[in-house]
Amino acid sequence: MRKLSRASIVLGLLALVVVAVAYGARSHKSASDTLVFGSSADPVALDGALISDGESGRVIIQIYEGLVALKPGTTNVVPSLATSWKASAGGKSWTFSLRKGVKFSDGTPFNASAVCANFNRWYNFTGSFQNPSATYYWQTVFGGFKTYDPKSGAPKGSLFKSCKVVNASTATINLTSASASFLGALSLPSFFMESPTAMAKYGANQGSVDADGVFHPTGTYATAHPTGTGPFMLQSWTRGDKLVLVRNPNYWGKPAHLSTLIFRPIADNAARLQALQNGEIQGYDLVEPQDISTIKSDGNLKLLSRPPFNVGIVGMNQSIAPMNNLKVRQAVAYGLDRQSVVNAFYGGRGVVAKEFQPPSLFGYAKNVKTYAYNPAKSRALLKAAGLKLPVKISFWYPTSVSRPYMPDPTKNFQAFSASLTKAGFKVVPHAAPWNPDYLGGVQDGKAQVYLYGWTGDFGDPDDFDGVFFRTPQNQWGFHNKAIFSILTKARDEPTLSKRIALYQQANRMLMDFLPGVPYVHTSPALAFTKNVTGYVPSPVDIQLFSSVSVG
Amino acid sequence: MLRFVVRRLLLLVPILLGLSILVFVWIRALPGSPAQALLGERATPQTIHQINHQYGLDKPIYVQYWRYLKETSQLKLGTSITTRQPVLTEIGQRFPATVELSIAAALFSILIGIPLGFFAAKRHRTVFDHVSLGISLFGISIPIFFLALILKYVFAVRLGWLPTVGQISVLINIPHPTNFYILDALLAGNMGALWDVVQHLILPAVALGSIPLAVITRITRAAVLDVQNEDYIRTARAKGLAPRIVDLRHVLRNALLPVSTIVGLQVGLLLSGAILTETVFAYPGIGSWLRQAISDRNYPVIQGGILFVAIIVVFVNLLVDISYGLINPRIRLGGK
Amino acid sequence: MSVAELESREVMIEGAGAGLWSDALRRLRRNPGAIVGAVLVAIFVLVALAAPLLAPHDPRAQDLNLIIKGCCPGPSAHHLLGVDDLGRDELSRIIYGARLSLLIGIVSVSVGLSLGIVIGAISGFFGGWIDSLLMRLVDIMLAIPGFLMAIGIVALLGPGLFQVMIAIGIVNVPIFTRLLRGSVLAQRENDFVLAARAVGVRRRTILISHVLPNAISPVIVQGTLALATAIIDAAGLGFLGLGPQDPSTPEWGNMLTDTVRYLQTAPFLAIFPGVAIVLSVLGFNLIGDGLREALDPKLRGRA
Repeated sequence: MRKLSRASIVLGLLALVVVAVAYGARSHKSASDTLVFGSSADPVALDGALISDGESGRVIIQIYEGLVALKPGTTNVVPSLATSWKASAGGKSWTFSLRKGVKFSDGTPFNASAVCANFNRWYNFTGSFQNPSATYYWQTVFGGFKTYDPKSGAPKGSLFKSCKVVNASTATINLTSASASFLGALSLPSFFMESPTAMAKYGANQGSVDADGVFHPTGTYATAHPTGTGPFMLQSWTRGDKLVLVRNPNYWGKPAHLSTLIFRPIADNAARLQALQNGEIQGYDLVEPQDISTIKSDGNLKLLSRPPFNVGIVGMNQSIAPMNNLKVRQAVAYGLDRQSVVNAFYGGRGVVAKEFQPPSLFGYAKNVKTYAYNPAKSRALLKAAGLKLPVKISFWYPTSVSRPYMPDPTKNFQAFSASLTKAGFKVVPHAAPWNPDYLGGVQDGKAQVYLYGWTGDFGDPDDFDGVFFRTPQNQWGFHNKAIFSILTKARDEPTLSKRIALYQQANRMLMDFLPGVPYVHTSPALAFTKNVTGYVPSPVDIQLFSSVSVG
Repeated sequence: MLRFVVRRLLLLVPILLGLSILVFVWIRALPGSPAQALLGERATPQTIHQINHQYGLDKPIYVQYWRYLKETSQLKLGTSITTRQPVLTEIGQRFPATVELSIAAALFSILIGIPLGFFAAKRHRTVFDHVSLGISLFGISIPIFFLALILKYVFAVRLGWLPTVGQISVLINIPHPTNFYILDALLAGNMGALWDVVQHLILPAVALGSIPLAVITRITRAAVLDVQNEDYIRTARAKGLAPRIVDLRHVLRNALLPVSTIVGLQVGLLLSGAILTETVFAYPGIGSWLRQAISDRNYPVIQGGILFVAIIVVFVNLLVDISYGLINPRIRLGGK
Repeated sequence: MSVAELESREVMIEGAGAGLWSDALRRLRRNPGAIVGAVLVAIFVLVALAAPLLAPHDPRAQDLNLIIKGCCPGPSAHHLLGVDDLGRDELSRIIYGARLSLLIGIVSVSVGLSLGIVIGAISGFFGGWIDSLLMRLVDIMLAIPGFLMAIGIVALLGPGLFQVMIAIGIVNVPIFTRLLRGSVLAQRENDFVLAARAVGVRRRTILISHVLPNAISPVIVQGTLALATAIIDAAGLGFLGLGPQDPSTPEWGNMLTDTVRYLQTAPFLAIFPGVAIVLSVLGFNLIGDGLREALDPKLRGRA
């Protein structure tokens, strides 16, 4: 035994060293005017015109500003770099009065010629910049470019016609047709104002697409020298590690409280929570429902909610029988126990969806057809459709993804699958990793019944109903002219009251036609340490940190 | 010796060529395309088709392969789809991180495994022997991500002794000339940063080191048991040398021969384990990078990354074989 | 899988003679580790076979009402190990999970073993350019870290239990191939093979009736150890979201993965399947170790 103990002493000492080393370690608390925010990934680039991802937008909105902005906490459009605007020529011409005395962070002035320089830059993109992976939002809002390139995949013809400098502080944007949703879209980071001088100096318009079809900017503008008018400026960016912003001392508005704002990419949600608890970050987005009670019960942390601006949907593809039969779609709707799913999986932050757009947005209709869980009715409908029970359906669900409207899709799938089984269906599961396997399959029209959803980019119903149903799409597999035309009409109508009526009518039609079953709107949560104040959660995922302070 | 090395190096050519074909064909057989991956929720069949067409992804596969081969031979590994950074640059950032982690894991497993195995053999069939065998068996029986999660939960979340994720604290700024963070901290002369990097390494290294620890313990034990019965050890003992000197000079030194080769052979194992460990600790190494690339269909990263990893594995195996020959002259290299 | 890869180098066993097996069994019975392993594996297999009799509930039956207040209520009299994030009985799922883990282990090892035996035997027995070609293929496979290759194969085949089994099986192929080739090479020059050849027995007959049976004992050891790693690797793949198609399948790796997110609120959900994996894997490792010691001629007679 004496020998044994000598060996144990060696081991014990080793263990002690390990523990001692560990004990010496204490988490680093940050300085009081510095905030570290846990993002889910690195931005793609810091040039709004060339991105469509949320993490880029999250940083870009701190550095740049648009002509208009969204009022904090809402989707209402308010003045930003433009102080006022008015439409003429039936909505085809928009004149913006610009804020005076504003300078870009490189010292050059912001004025009407800068505005037109930006619009003309976007409109004149050629070659690889017309690639949809580079200029998604321009193509979504404005369509094509000045030069049509059939190879690029960009549409022909553009909503944008020209930009005119009226005087130093007035600019007019002319459109080729009337548009109402255009103004709200200008609040997107893709249409923020960038310094023409800095863009020229650092090669913002240099970029190429390599052998694998990947667009990447080759200048240093979008990675090292982004230049806008916003409350923060880029200090440094180490990919995979951190992106450091510092206060813009010459900001025209109220200066930011924070002197330093750091974004740290942490891909795993649980790891973000642990980093928050450990003091390595002071806040993160998209808190998962199961962590809500942990955060609430932690005296050092607090929880903030975004207003609901998303929708979770069980999609149905009418090109795959028997989904073309309305009775079968109704049977699915009655067979989904949506209330239980919302109660059980959303940590009290979800409501059962009755329509494809969130209730807070204009155009939401009061009296649409609703489908409360009723498995007996489902079975009756299936029999009435002349089908033999159980009816076999292939139900797709994604893996490796978490969205506010489906924090854990496998759970939604399992619960829906169980309730559909009671309703007379035989569910055949089909799992696939979210991107590209799942989205590819769904968008190609290969999925019969599938989990889907959407988070709005800006405050317009066209960003919900229009995205899904304004045009024929393989994933829904139907051609309903009445629906396509009313949604197109609603998008282009310049008078708000008429738009509202059109969208309400469209929503009623949709819930009768039932291309899918909307099941949840959630209010996503953010977590911060207790000493962080001044953050007003926005319905869209990106927002300013200038009002935030620590301590 | 030289002939052996040259022959082994020549053998690399068909292996790498075969591997590149395999990886190339495999990637293109995967469901989904980079265009789809690129556009995500916003893709339409038209845009996908256009992107594929524009950049030659719809050309016959041998045309694509030939172009790929030409570019790769000029070290043009392309650009990552998700970050838009050159793949070579990313390897330069990610690989040192994994090497650092692997070295830390190897140190952990060697420093604990060799004494553990040695004393277990010296006390063959005692409680200590059984306990150390038990530890090592447990090490290879626990899923590495489960161990990593438990370590993280206990030491980082509950006790708060160590950081949960990453390679260095956000608030520490040091230049990164080498991308080996320990080296960088030393070069910057920043002891606080060094300490911070070490802290970030501890938990992932222990998790990653658990399997090699088990293997090293067992091999050391077996080797010491073998060597102890050799004639020269008996002779040394009979000569009246102090037991401690016999143990250190003869038993341990000879037993370390097989152990050293096993340590070298852990590369593939460490890289496999690194995928899971790096995922749990959000450690920016090459394992989690490749896994993410596969799920993102990040063609350039997969192609460049796997080829790079394979070259490393093959080279290290070659080094192990050579050094084995150097340490142990009884092995005749090149023979059957 | 890489553990197995390594250990394949340790289990090379030279020659085999009559009485090897009875001798091995005798020594196995004297090895306490092997006995513990046998007991663990016996329990594991028994639970797997008798799952419908042992499980108190249907492992797939959900009760969402149980979790409305949050995930997840811990052990109670009605649910001895508590319920999971869909209100399913954890104990029943663990019991049924034994079935799937066993199935994954056996199928994937069988895939790896059968392919490995065929390739290794052909390579070792015929030699020449066939051997060179096959060995280069094996070299290519070994140059990719095993787990990475498994991820790649599952990415290709799509997620699913069957795909996972195939992937892990294929990753095991080079290990078994090398092992078998090594054994066959050693056996080929044995006296009895030379004798058989001298009297004009056909090559195929020699391979099947003389060489293989004698080369197989290291493969058995390796197979036992590979069963253990197969269970771990399946869990690892599940952890990365590459598990069964139907997520309600009570598979341990999958259960662990799904509940990792509740580590803070309901740690038992991750701990129970984790412990089940560790115990079953430990069982196979102990038996494999015991077999190796029992079959190793160098250690014979030392016990």
